[in-house]
Amino acid sequence: MRRTPLSIAVSTALLGAALSMPAHAQTPTELELARKLDRLAAELAEVKAQLATLRAQGGNAGTAAAASEAGTATRAAPAPATADAAPAAGRPTRAELPTRAELAEPATVLTSYGEINYTRPTKAPQDAQVDLRRFVLGFQHRMDSKTRLVAELEVEHAVSSADDPGEVALEQAFVERELGARLAARAGLFLIPAGMLNENHEPTAYYGVHRNFVETAIIPSTWREVGVQLIGNLDNGLTIQGGLSTGFDVGKWDATSTEGAESPLGAIHQEGAQARARNLAVFGAINWRGVPGLLVGGSAFSGAASHSQPLLPSARVSLWDLHARWSPGRWDLSSVYARGSISNTAALNATLVGNPTLIPERFDGWYLQGAYRLWSQGDYVLSPFVRLERFNTARDYADLGAGLTPQAAGTERVTTVGVNFLVGQGVVLKADVQRFGLVSANNRVNLGLGWSF
Amino acid sequence: MRLTLFPAALVALAPASAFAVHYLSAEQAQKLMFPDAERFELRDVAADAGSTHAGDAPMQVRIARRGDATLGYVVVDEVVGKFERITYAVGLNRDGSVRQVEVMDYRESHGHEIRLPAWRRQFEGKTVASAIRVGEDIANISGATLSCQHVTDGVRRIVARIDALRRSGSLG
Repeated sequence: MRRTPLSIAVSTALLGAALSMPAHAQTPTELELARKLDRLAAELAEVKAQLATLRAQGGNAGTAAAASEAGTATRAAPAPATADAAPAAGRPTRAELPTRAELAEPATVLTSYGEINYTRPTKAPQDAQVDLRRFVLGFQHRMDSKTRLVAELEVEHAVSSADDPGEVALEQAFVERELGARLAARAGLFLIPAGMLNENHEPTAYYGVHRNFVETAIIPSTWREVGVQLIGNLDNGLTIQGGLSTGFDVGKWDATSTEGAESPLGAIHQEGAQARARNLAVFGAINWRGVPGLLVGGSAFSGAASHSQPLLPSARVSLWDLHARWSPGRWDLSSVYARGSISNTAALNATLVGNPTLIPERFDGWYLQGAYRLWSQGDYVLSPFVRLERFNTARDYADLGAGLTPQAAGTERVTTVGVNFLVGQGVVLKADVQRFGLVSANNRVNLGLGWSF
Repeated sequence: MRLTLFPAALVALAPASAFAVHYLSAEQAQKLMFPDAERFELRDVAADAGSTHAGDAPMQVRIARRGDATLGYVVVDEVVGKFERITYAVGLNRDGSVRQVEVMDYRESHGHEIRLPAWRRQFEGKTVASAIRVGEDIANISGATLSCQHVTDGVRRIVARIDALRRSGSLG
């Protein structure tokens, strides 16, 4: 039998007791001493036998009982009469026992989220559309108490084939390793910590049928890169993330399409699909949650994006944001400001002049959002909300000379008014109206069903 | 290639810790909550005893005693956060109000802030008459909504159950 700290401690305690006996005995003869030692030896053997029996009662039950004996009561474990009897030195450390999680939890957890949306442009009802926007299947597999794999596979627009609009993509596939109570490392395809939505993008986590514009047009969504990342959780409520990853590829800019005008970075992201990696990017985020209900944070990302491609001038993509969320009582108030830039666009655009969509030098946007938990009963929660957004996907173009420099885009102003109706914690029904200040042809009414678990 | 070797080197250099996200044992939690207690008597409670919520499990109450006096109660419970289990302890005063909440184990990637005193202090003094709901008298932690909700729901159930047990005299 392998000697565990428990058995060692019990033996030590008993031997210690035996050795201290003479001091308490008034006039111990050698014979009495020998008898006592014999009795103690017998008791020790009995304790060892009991320990062996405990272990033999099957790995799980035995360990649970041992844990319980040490005072770490679990719901399933039989309880000893008092919990404070076991001396601390005699406790088996958790490192030696299988953890409770290893005993009781499945190592693999299946996850899913999805959304089905109905969108009706108010000025063009003939374009009303129903879309199974996203269906995501994911899993988290715990390889040991400190190492896990997280993966999400996404189907967008229901059907993916040569004739259909859908696409299939890996949204996340990374390994996370806990390096300590406050430090973890990730490697693989992970979500970049930017804004508030990117890492928490399930439909139950945000207001409105569609994701907000600032965190789709300015900060791409769902934005992921391949790289390594360190995550520190400090005791003052700060979470600090930082790392090295793949970045954007300005060579992917399609000046003939309007995609770049909708989301400049969404048009040149690489998503780990044979991503050019001659240049890497650095990123970091700081979030503070030291006061309940409050989140204040910011993020920054910067990386060269030309990857030494022939005839492609060097360029750098940078993006930063500041965000805050405050939820006192029934209120949920939040705001994000994000700003991105691409360097050396004059040289990049020189060969693209004449095309409809040139590369902007700067793009930015912000929103203010307020929601109120108006009514709740049992599993149902009804929260109306209002969101005001201002964003510009081409705030500035680099000077290409008179007549050639494109005019900066107008700033779009979107007002969204709607409700989220939560059914339990995993299902949400949504309805909202969106009014566009600049291009009113985009005004629309949306209905949505979402889930997440 | 350099990318994948980098974290491997980091992992190798990291100091080994006994159990990364284990913060407190039940003994440490109960001592923290009732430093004056001389002993803790364990009382097993059947699934239906004092139950106010369908699906309640058998529960174990640790009664803090000093001499013949009861100082209060400690219940250790587990809930699932988003993916992983959270082990926490609720300490209650003799009158059934919440004395302290301690997070003993937390394994989720996000939401470690629930173990910070500022979040846990929100529960102090709550009684069976309090709402004890996220979005009412307990503030959420952004990005860890499910962990907050599930721990809060757990505390609410424990408060209600201890109150019922106390009134029925089963905690002596």
